[in-house]
Parts: sequence; structure tokens; C-alpha cells
Amino acid sequence: MHRITRYLRLYFLIEAQYIKARMQYRADFIISSIGMFFSSLATLGIFWILFGSITELAGWNFMEMVFIYAFYMIAISPMQIIFDHFWQLRYHVTEGTFLKYYFRPLNMMFYYISEMFDLKGLTQLAAGIVLLVYASIQLNIQWTIARVMLLLASLFSASLVQIAVVVSASCAAFWVMNSWPVLSLAWKLREFSPYPMSIFDGAFRVLFTYVIPIGFVAFYPSQIFLRPEQVSPLAYASPLVGIGLFALAYRIWTLGVNSYTGTGS
Amino acid sequence: MKKYFAIIRGAFMVGMVYRLGFIFTILGNLVYLGVAYYLWTSIYETTNVMRGLTFNEAFLYIALGSAVFILLKTYSDWWISREIIDGNIIIDLIKPIDYQLMTLFTNLGFVLTNLIAITIPTALMLVLVFNVTIPYGAGTLLFPFSLIMAFVISYCFDYFTGLLAFYTESTWGLSITKDTIILVFSGALVPLQFFPEGMQKVLMVLPFQTMYHTPLMLFTRPDQPWEALAGMLLVQCGWALGLILLTRLFYLQAIKVLRISGG
Repeated sequence: MHRITRYLRLYFLIEAQYIKARMQYRADFIISSIGMFFSSLATLGIFWILFGSITELAGWNFMEMVFIYAFYMIAISPMQIIFDHFWQLRYHVTEGTFLKYYFRPLNMMFYYISEMFDLKGLTQLAAGIVLLVYASIQLNIQWTIARVMLLLASLFSASLVQIAVVVSASCAAFWVMNSWPVLSLAWKLREFSPYPMSIFDGAFRVLFTYVIPIGFVAFYPSQIFLRPEQVSPLAYASPLVGIGLFALAYRIWTLGVNSYTGTGS
Repeated sequence: MKKYFAIIRGAFMVGMVYRLGFIFTILGNLVYLGVAYYLWTSIYETTNVMRGLTFNEAFLYIALGSAVFILLKTYSDWWISREIIDGNIIIDLIKPIDYQLMTLFTNLGFVLTNLIAITIPTALMLVLVFNVTIPYGAGTLLFPFSLIMAFVISYCFDYFTGLLAFYTESTWGLSITKDTIILVFSGALVPLQFFPEGMQKVLMVLPFQTMYHTPLMLFTRPDQPWEALAGMLLVQCGWALGLILLTRLFYLQAIKVLRISGG
């Protein structure tokens, strides 16, 4: 417990300084936030256009799609905001600047992620929350305290799935140097997580459920709230999936960190 | 002309260095095609023709759109802006070469890499794995030319976005916004026929549709009357020429703010 409070305190201290430094570039913050806003809503825009011609997609109506999409936007935000530094891991590894993370009496992953706090990701989080509230009013979802707690738990676990996928993909840098192709593939796959998994069959459903389980980022957990009476058991497995995957990603990170030998310069 | 061939060759060889990346890009595109296939199958669940497009036409449009997207994706806005921000642009400026043409031909080299390594394998997959029937007609012959025009127009947008680095260092936001606008409003993700009528009218007068909608329609509907085909191509050429000129003017303005203090 003492350890957790120490880390939390440290995190706030580091981030406060980081945000102050970033705030010198106000125009950058505004332009990046606008970019973030548009790009994170693009797929929803496409759904909106498609629903001009259809009333249901594999049995899901537009407002339900908005709910799933909002869940997705919130679930990917912690990755964007807190773990954003993982995008740069490949540079640190190839250029040798990664060595500095070995020299502090802190958990290395904590030290590594604490160096960046992505402010523009807050736009995505805010847009996601607004959409989630809007969709649940339109859909007449009844919220009780228990269900809100369940929502928070599902979001937490879903965000762990997303974090685990990106962390594992970036850790490829420890072995293949340029991990960009792996990372961009993981990024591309992520964009399919708000799609109703029921449109897929065979190989694709297996792929998105068991191999690269992006179905657990949004679609399976949001079923608990949209159709509680006909939830598949998979939906209730989602908290375990998140924790399990994160543990696996952390293991990959540890292996990578231990095998890294620096660049010699 | 010889010096520009050297530039194309150089860029092509740089692109070929990252061969491992191609496998992942092809893999990613295969998954995207699969997702698109299932998505459009669901959309066409109850009907055969929607907004004047059959399932085969709509899927061919989207799938080919993804191949064109990879072809045109050369990240030139990213490297042009990086060059401007770190000052290395000066090395290119002292060469006896026009900067716009130099970047255009560098870009062309990367496009050729993409074509050989990613687009052609993707097109083959489309025929072999997804079994799409490919229509033939006059439009099929015009398609390669239209694709070149689409490349020029796409390059102009990248070039313009890259040059904005003369004014701001926030290139992430600008490039992402540009990419999103082009993807959504050009027909790359959903055929323009599916947009609401009013929006379609607006989008047809904007340049974005000439990058995807024009070549994709030439390919999926090659049997249109000559006047329609020629009209589409004419609009495309007009935009290509106009944007080349506009970005040239913009460059002449923007270069004035450049200050590089030694190296």
C-alpha cells in the first residue's frame, strides 16, 4: 500500500511538470486536439453514413452502435493518454537512449510511461463520455449503482486489453529493432474493435476473439449493458481477459528489458 | 530529366530496404479486406442492389480503395515537415533542382515501391482469395492514367501539409486531420453513393473525390458512356493542374519565413 501511494504521488509530480512544459506550446495542443477529435470520430461517421441505407447491422441498430463506439473510445483512452510513450520505444531501443531507464530505483515500466502524458487523448476521452451518456439516454438504459460499477470494471479491463496489445507489439523492438510494421498492424486491427463481432464467421471470429482479442476492447463487454438478457458467456469473461493479457504483455516487456544489451555507444 | 530519374531510383531503393515491413502491411491489408468483406456482406444481407451498386461493385470499390490508399501512402507530409523543422531542407535547397519536383519524384519512387511490394500482391489476393469478378470496358483502360492523376493530387495535399511546418511545429495534428478528411470525404472508406444526397453534391465539387472516387468508379463501372468518362477525367486533370499551381504559389510565400541559423 505504501508503495502504491508513493508511485501515485510520484506520477502526479512528474506529470504536473510535464503538462506545464507542454503548455508552452498552446497552438500545438489545440491543433492536435482537433486532429484527435476528427480522427477518433471518423469510423463513427462512416457508420452514420452506412445507416442511411440500412436500419440494422447484424441485428444492431445505430444507437447501439454509438454505445459500442463510445465504449471503445473510452476504453482506448488510457492507452493513448498514459501509455503513449510506447510509440517511441523503437527509437529509444535503436538509438540506445533506452539505457537510462535501468538506472532508477523505480519500476521500469512505470518510469518509462511516466515520461509522457498525452493531453490530446483527453479530447477522445471526453468525446467518448459524452457519446456514452447520450447513447444510454437514447437507448433508455437503466443505471443502478451496481451497473455503474460494472461499467467501470468493464472499461478498466477493456483498456487493459488495448494496452496489452500495443505494449506487446512495441516490445518487438527489443528483438527486431524496427517494430513499426508490427505496431501499425496492431493499430490497424484495433480499429475493428467497435464492429459487431457477429458479422464475422469462422476464422475471423476466432482471430478477433482468441488470437488478437480486440473483440474484448468494446463489443463483448458492451453487450452486458445493451442486451443483458442475451449476453454470451464471453462478455463475462472480459475482466479476466484484460488482466491475463496485461500480465502476458508485462512478461514480454520484462523479457525484452532483460535481453536488451544497448547499442554500445 | 536524368536527375529526376536518379531521385526516383534513390527513393525506390530506400523504400526497398524495409522489406520485413511489407509482409506486415500485406497481412494488415488482408485482414482489412476480410473485415470489409464481412461488413459489406452484412450490409447487403437483405438486398442485391443498394444506391445503384451491387455487392460485387461495392466490395470491389472498397477493396480497390484500400489498395489505392496503400499506394498513395508515402508519408511525404511527415518527412517534408521534419526536414523543415530540423533545418535539413537547406541541403535540398542548395541543389540546382526545383524543390517541388524533387519531392514529387522522391514520392514517385516510394509509390513504385508500394506498387510492387504491396498493391500488386493485394490486387492478386483480391482476385484469388475473394473471387471478385472484374468488369472490363473503356474505363479500365483509363484507370492507370486516372491513378497517376490521383497520385499527383494526393501528393499536392501531402506537400501542402508538409509545408505548413514553416508556420507551426504541430505537424501531427495537421497530418492526422488531413488524412481523416481525405479518407472520409473521398470515398476511400465508403462509396460516395452512400452519402446523403446533399452531401454528395458538395463532395463532388471538392477535390477529395478525385483521389479515390474517380479512379474507383472508372474501374468498377468501366462501361459508362464516353462523355461521362471523359468528364470525370477532365475534372481530375483540372484539379491536378490547379493544385500543383496553388502549392507552388504557397511554397513561394512560405519559403520567405525560413531562417536557418548555421548548421
